[in-house]
Amino acid sequence: MTYTYIGKDRRRVEDPRLLVGRGGYIADLGVPGMLHAAILRSPLPHAWIRSIDATEALRLPGVVAVLTGEDCKARMNPCMSFGPATITQYPLAVDKVRYVGEAVAAVVAESRYLAEDGVDLLKADYEELPPVTDPMAAMEPGSALLHEEHGSNIGYERTFEFGDVTAAFAGADLIVEDTLRWGRSAGMPLETTGAVAQPGFNGVLEIYCNSLNFSYFVFLIAATLRIPSNKLTLRPVPAGGSFGSKLAAHKVPTLAGFLALQTGRPVSYVEDRIDHLENSDHHGCDRIYEARMGFRADGTIVGLDIDVVDDYGAYMQFGVGHHGNAFSQVVGPYRFRDVRYRLRAVVTDKCQQGAYRGFGSEVHNWVLERLVDEGAARLGLAPEEIRRRNFIQPDQFPYKIPGGNLYDSGDYPAVLDKALSMIDLDRWRAEQRRLREEEGRHIGIGLATTQERSVFSATEFWFLLEKPTFPLTSSPESATVTIDPTGQFQLLLHCQSMWGNSPETVGATLLAEEFGIPPESVNVRYADSAHALPGTGPGGSRYTAMVAGAIRGASRKLRQKLVHIAAHTLEVAPEDLELVDARVQVRAAPETGLTIAELAATAYFFALGLPEGMTSGLEESFTYDHPYTTLPAPDGSDLGVFYPIMGHACHIAVLEVDPDTGMVSFLDYVAVHDAGTIVNPKSLGGHVTGGATQGIGTTLYEELAYDADGRFRSSTFRDYLIPTAVEAPAFRIGHVQTPSPFTEYGIKGGGEGGRMVAPAAVSAALDDALREYGMRVRQLPVKPWEIVATVQAGRTAQGWV
Amino acid sequence: MKPPPFTYCDPESVDEAVGLKSEYGIDSLVLAGGQSLLPLLNMRLVRPEALIDINRIGDLQKIEPRSDMLEVGAGVRQYELENHPQVGRLIPLLPEATGCIGHLETRHRGTVGGSLAHADSAAELPCTAVTLDATVVARGPSGTRTIEAQDFFRGWTTTALEPEEVLVAVRYPVPPQAAGHGFVEVARRVGDLALAGAAAVVNLDEDGRFTSVSVGVLGISDTPVRAWAVESALIGEASTAENIARAAEEIVPSVTSGDDLHATRAYRRHLARLVVRRAITAAVARAHERSDGT
Repeated sequence: MTYTYIGKDRRRVEDPRLLVGRGGYIADLGVPGMLHAAILRSPLPHAWIRSIDATEALRLPGVVAVLTGEDCKARMNPCMSFGPATITQYPLAVDKVRYVGEAVAAVVAESRYLAEDGVDLLKADYEELPPVTDPMAAMEPGSALLHEEHGSNIGYERTFEFGDVTAAFAGADLIVEDTLRWGRSAGMPLETTGAVAQPGFNGVLEIYCNSLNFSYFVFLIAATLRIPSNKLTLRPVPAGGSFGSKLAAHKVPTLAGFLALQTGRPVSYVEDRIDHLENSDHHGCDRIYEARMGFRADGTIVGLDIDVVDDYGAYMQFGVGHHGNAFSQVVGPYRFRDVRYRLRAVVTDKCQQGAYRGFGSEVHNWVLERLVDEGAARLGLAPEEIRRRNFIQPDQFPYKIPGGNLYDSGDYPAVLDKALSMIDLDRWRAEQRRLREEEGRHIGIGLATTQERSVFSATEFWFLLEKPTFPLTSSPESATVTIDPTGQFQLLLHCQSMWGNSPETVGATLLAEEFGIPPESVNVRYADSAHALPGTGPGGSRYTAMVAGAIRGASRKLRQKLVHIAAHTLEVAPEDLELVDARVQVRAAPETGLTIAELAATAYFFALGLPEGMTSGLEESFTYDHPYTTLPAPDGSDLGVFYPIMGHACHIAVLEVDPDTGMVSFLDYVAVHDAGTIVNPKSLGGHVTGGATQGIGTTLYEELAYDADGRFRSSTFRDYLIPTAVEAPAFRIGHVQTPSPFTEYGIKGGGEGGRMVAPAAVSAALDDALREYGMRVRQLPVKPWEIVATVQAGRTAQGWV
Repeated sequence: MKPPPFTYCDPESVDEAVGLKSEYGIDSLVLAGGQSLLPLLNMRLVRPEALIDINRIGDLQKIEPRSDMLEVGAGVRQYELENHPQVGRLIPLLPEATGCIGHLETRHRGTVGGSLAHADSAAELPCTAVTLDATVVARGPSGTRTIEAQDFFRGWTTTALEPEEVLVAVRYPVPPQAAGHGFVEVARRVGDLALAGAAAVVNLDEDGRFTSVSVGVLGISDTPVRAWAVESALIGEASTAENIARAAEEIVPSVTSGDDLHATRAYRRHLARLVVRRAITAAVARAHERSDGT
């Protein structure tokens, strides 16, 4: 299939306004009479709240109100949650605090300065409880409990087995076994989460927010606020980045809404950076694995056995969806059929987990690749060779994996070959030896091949639960295309999609493809929740594929109307007409035709010139449901198809380690992704770059650290180290395009891919650089002193010291 | 993250600034480039009654090179020090170390005096001041006094400045032209406060023996550390790799920083040794270059 606009590098239509400072972010939004909220954060990891004395704060001129968990308990319902019903959360802590930084009270004042002055004057009295910080200890019977009502710190425990792992391992020649630990990191958008809520017309509460896929969640926020959902309107505001952190950031708009309802005035609450780091509800995965993988002597993988403990923090807003996510690609790109997966989700005195680019499947990818690399090393196979021997082959698709998900299409050998064609591995391996021998330098080469599932469907929210209360199966996306009376195009999007893969550029490009108009001429708008058609918003690398389905559906209807108006006007049969370059023309006589502008004028102004039965106007909407979802088996033996749009990637990292300092620098980095048909290679390349850099951050730099006493040690960017352009390698990006048979245009999602691969490639490269010292990355982030200690121990063992 | 209330003063002269310092004393802070103070203020970790903004005082923004001494005003931006041609010629250690402070953007705002007065023990300018035997010039109500850099840094972000004094300049003695210098630091990312770093200035005799050695180390203790024991282990010795490595061991007892998020104590000790060795090695190489060149 050849396209005119799809697949060409295109500058983002969003960029001009952003580059001149007209992004229109939430902190710039002013509403007359608006108040500002600041929160008192808990200084303690675990304590009963005895009392909060607001007398002095309320005496400060400019302070309007102080609200606490007592007010929440009395006047609102718990926050939305997909977790156990016995683990509840409010925007302000009720009865007890469960992590350092948890919001305890909100001060509403005439300015943010005064609100923070008011917070200073609050006197909170606590009764300290033992901090619960170690997830293993938290599971012990004697541990202090976070949620008394839940009765245990284990939020979820279940073992899934697909196939027969014991039998598979009995036939293995080698079983690799390791304890692997993935540390906490999180998306750190430049702009934090914020909301402005105001009591509006007809008693409707209006909440402007930069977060939350509202058309999906609006009724849940209304239920929390105890108002009818038709009396709540969420208005999307541009988001300055998300990376998942804004996916369902419900607490901020809920709190702003509650404060506006309580004060009767507009209230702005925007997280500051400390709020975001400590209290965002969007920390990433924090897991300890006991993992085993079986191999035959020829490198064939025979099975996988995982026992994972996931430290969820204090609450479980998404249940254990992060593991459902891992089940979407539980075998990676490999053919083995036997998988056992024991999961224990533990609550501890830390900020709760949310969404971060990968949503748990990036961790699983890392574990798989760590095991495959160890198997390759033990069997004497090159990393690319062991992978090649295990790949699902191009003629095996669609491919049903253990667990139930389906891979739609792929060509994994082609992706590997493309990556290898972009980098001369033989030359690098020779250079590695030469530099080691002649200059004493330590170069490492790491390769990873992983899946990048895309286009989530809703069953993963609940299919791991034994008794789901709300077995949701919808995850639609909608678009409205309007051609105005002069022939200009408007595209209306129906969700908070102002993050993800440049939705406006995608939408404009697709309309250009459908109608032959210049993409830059399309105007894109966003519906608020009162006007929105069904939508789910970006997340799980779904938006491009889903909105493409919606736009194409609306375009088909609109094209048909244009053709029928033209057929009527030109007095020819509709089937003899075609739409080319913004003009409907006669196939056999292209000089005869009408432009879209001419047809639009007829559609709006000359009703008597329309075919009989046609009504005026040129606007069509389309709601596109998830293209391929099936119900899971009730007994958990098959999870159904839920993430079938399967991308794939290969990264090869070449880095140098200074063995004396433990510092790492990149010499080369190749990233090849297959995200199906690409709408805009330039912006997809940006996603790969950013995602891979975040993967490097998770591997080498970023850590949301709590000490054993529950104190949070990463509450500023002085301590939470995000790799910058200086640390990031100059990525060389390649694309392979295997279209999906299930989506419009064959598009797959690619928003999370970089972070799905980089930790595995970089970990492998570190091992390779320091192989002579027995380096084996088992815990992320890798600290420089761990590298130095490994080198020193290795040298001692070799008799160097 | 908004500051608590404060009185803002923007004096136009040093005398006026000293007058304000005398008036507010310990309840006031001087605002120069704001690269450390403003975050502290916004996080309410400091709560001054008055903020005395010295950015309008032209007298504090001069660099005055002389044959034996370089005087740098407290308000001079770090990027000016980094890029001033005479500074680079007279004391090449200074631009090299200054270039490691934060990022270009922060060096355009951050000042020389601000970094010295903030006295972060991991900062580059306090370390180079100690290494170069610089003198800090302070003005108070009773006049001007000078303080040796060695005596100026008293503890973690604590200096010998009196509450009513304003830091007005720093004076660096110009090392001999044949001196070699080295500056090495190790940080997790470019621009981060270093985990450890060292500055070295050395002079060698014709046989390559150390006639003078000056080494300062940052990031390992509450204050920048002058590595006296390292220096005395090298004076009169040949500038060989073995001697340098052996002398670098002498820094280890000076490492007092404990474990933190970015380094364990053992790792810092290891790094201290390493940066001292690397800085001296670089300085020796430069000293050789200079003697070869003349």
